[in-house]
Amino acid sequence: VAKLCVCDLLVAQCDVNCCCDPDCSAADFSLFTTCSVPLVTGDSRLCSQKAATYSLDVEANPPERIFKLIDQINPSVFCIHATNYKQALSFGSPEMPTAENFDQLLERFGGATFSAEPDSWNMDTDAQNPSDANETYRYEYGVPIQTADAFLRLPSPVVSSWCSDVNPAGFLVNRATKCTRSVSVGQCGNTQALSMLSYINSSILAKRHEFVFQVNITVQSIVVQSLNGMRTLPNGSDVPRLPMILDELCINVVLGVSYHITYTDAGEIIEAAASFVLGAINEEALSIQQSFEISFTQVNTNPVPLSGNPGYVVGLPVRAGFRPQGYPFPLQAGFAALNANKYGQLTILQSTSHQDCLAAQGARTPVLFGYNMASGCKLRITAAMKCQPLTQTLLDLLKGQNFPEYVASFGNSQAQDVLDWVPITHLYTSDQSDNDRIHNALQSSCQIPVSLEIEVKWTKYGSLVNPQARIVNVTATITTTALKQLRSGRERTIPVMSSVVFTDISSPAEPGYKAWPTINVKLPFDFFFPFV
Amino acid sequence: LSSVPLQVLFYVNGIYYIFYFVATLAMIVYKSQVFSYPDDFLAPDLALLFIMAVLEALRLYLGSKGNLTEEEAPLGLSLVMTVGSVILSVYFLVWQTYVLKADVIINAVLLFTYGLESVLKVTAIAAFVS
Repeated sequence: VAKLCVCDLLVAQCDVNCCCDPDCSAADFSLFTTCSVPLVTGDSRLCSQKAATYSLDVEANPPERIFKLIDQINPSVFCIHATNYKQALSFGSPEMPTAENFDQLLERFGGATFSAEPDSWNMDTDAQNPSDANETYRYEYGVPIQTADAFLRLPSPVVSSWCSDVNPAGFLVNRATKCTRSVSVGQCGNTQALSMLSYINSSILAKRHEFVFQVNITVQSIVVQSLNGMRTLPNGSDVPRLPMILDELCINVVLGVSYHITYTDAGEIIEAAASFVLGAINEEALSIQQSFEISFTQVNTNPVPLSGNPGYVVGLPVRAGFRPQGYPFPLQAGFAALNANKYGQLTILQSTSHQDCLAAQGARTPVLFGYNMASGCKLRITAAMKCQPLTQTLLDLLKGQNFPEYVASFGNSQAQDVLDWVPITHLYTSDQSDNDRIHNALQSSCQIPVSLEIEVKWTKYGSLVNPQARIVNVTATITTTALKQLRSGRERTIPVMSSVVFTDISSPAEPGYKAWPTINVKLPFDFFFPFV
Repeated sequence: LSSVPLQVLFYVNGIYYIFYFVATLAMIVYKSQVFSYPDDFLAPDLALLFIMAVLEALRLYLGSKGNLTEEEAPLGLSLVMTVGSVILSVYFLVWQTYVLKADVIINAVLLFTYGLESVLKVTAIAAFVS
């Protein structure tokens, strides 16, 4: 206690009014006015302890410092007589990190919080760790894709529109980003971000944390874009092209990268391919816009874009297909994926600007769920046209090639689940009344189809708070009209129409309530005894 | 004849021990709040206090019974148990985690009582045997 001095702040110099400072000489003491620290003791709760007192004797000339070591007694009956716990009265000094205990200290104190109690209470966390070992080897949704050195990067704009290169690509997260990068023609060959090699030189780990299996990124295609925006596919598309300066332009600069990753359902990556769009920049350009995209496909499947999961989303195309011949099959056969159009969608005739049916062969637009559509064209009939070929042409026009037989009832119906597909019912009506038909039938005139109306009945399925749209019934009605024979040389124009209507046939949901509790009060049998 | 001073001493000891038990328990609670008293040190102190209480009750009962029925067997057993009580009292006096001045005082009084009791018990046993 005699050596402790709280006010000794300056090293090798005398602090003012600090009577315990060993750097002060007697001459310094004579200049002091008071002692800032009169008493230095240990813990005041001890019953008896040594204390050092410092005081100035101002009577003497020059003033002197008086230093006394006394025993201080705590008069309270609850003073500490003795302790057998040596850390009781002093602050514990923390462990110095060494190479041996660093990991343990990091585990204890490395998080955002830590408790003052010793580690013995965290026994149960150790038990959980071994079971996770198997799980960490497979990629899961959102987990960054690891490469040999770090992560597969998908540069994207962060905060501002400038590209940030530290954004990792997440597994099964399909993303497309566009960002701006600053360039200078002088740094054409040196900038890594403009060269296609920097996007393909890392190899992706097939499984997390396992460096044994690595997948190289192959170049799938290269498209060259000229300064005015025209894109061409050059010969030798697989050879990597490096940026270089040609005629004061920097060519082979990466303007877009599109990654396609193939994965298995065990969470492993088995293939990676990249398609590039290379362009040229001239010397005045200070920044270019790069676009990056990544998409994931499961191995051995054809990627079919879903129209909803599970209910149809308004605005997405209605999916349709065919049943293969010889149904019923065992369950693997399912439906053909190639159907109404390339993407398995229901389509209707698309109106064109010149409105001539025969000239607009083949233009069809997919039917989008929830959007009622109508389209049409005008057909010019001359006397020379025969009935049967005309009927066939109009039918092809209205229905298109490969009019599907089945429509998916949910947006994510798989081809294997045959019960999830709704058959299309066909109706044929005529736009004449019965009398006229009988009359015309006697004349055996020609019936040509002039309108196709597809009515899609859908219902709300599932929970009240998140109802999913489900297609229940699809009816295709073809209306025919009689074609009267024309005198030769004359022409007629008839309108041909097709339309799609979506009808909601969901019954309103009725919430059910439990019966309200009733108070079952009955008077006793003989309540009104004397009178009843 | 039963020893009257011994019986008086038993009676006083019983009352004093109740006070001692309550005071020590209260002081342990006080210490655990005011000082740093980790569980590793708190548990043995509390356990020994409760063991001491049980031991004390048994000891006083046996001693009182032996004295009143003038039998030396229970009195001898009580004397042996006094040794255990003395050890526990010394623990609370010297080896406790925090020994306050109040602890020192009440344990000293308890030890003095035990000493006096032991002397009187030996005298009583000698009187009964002969």
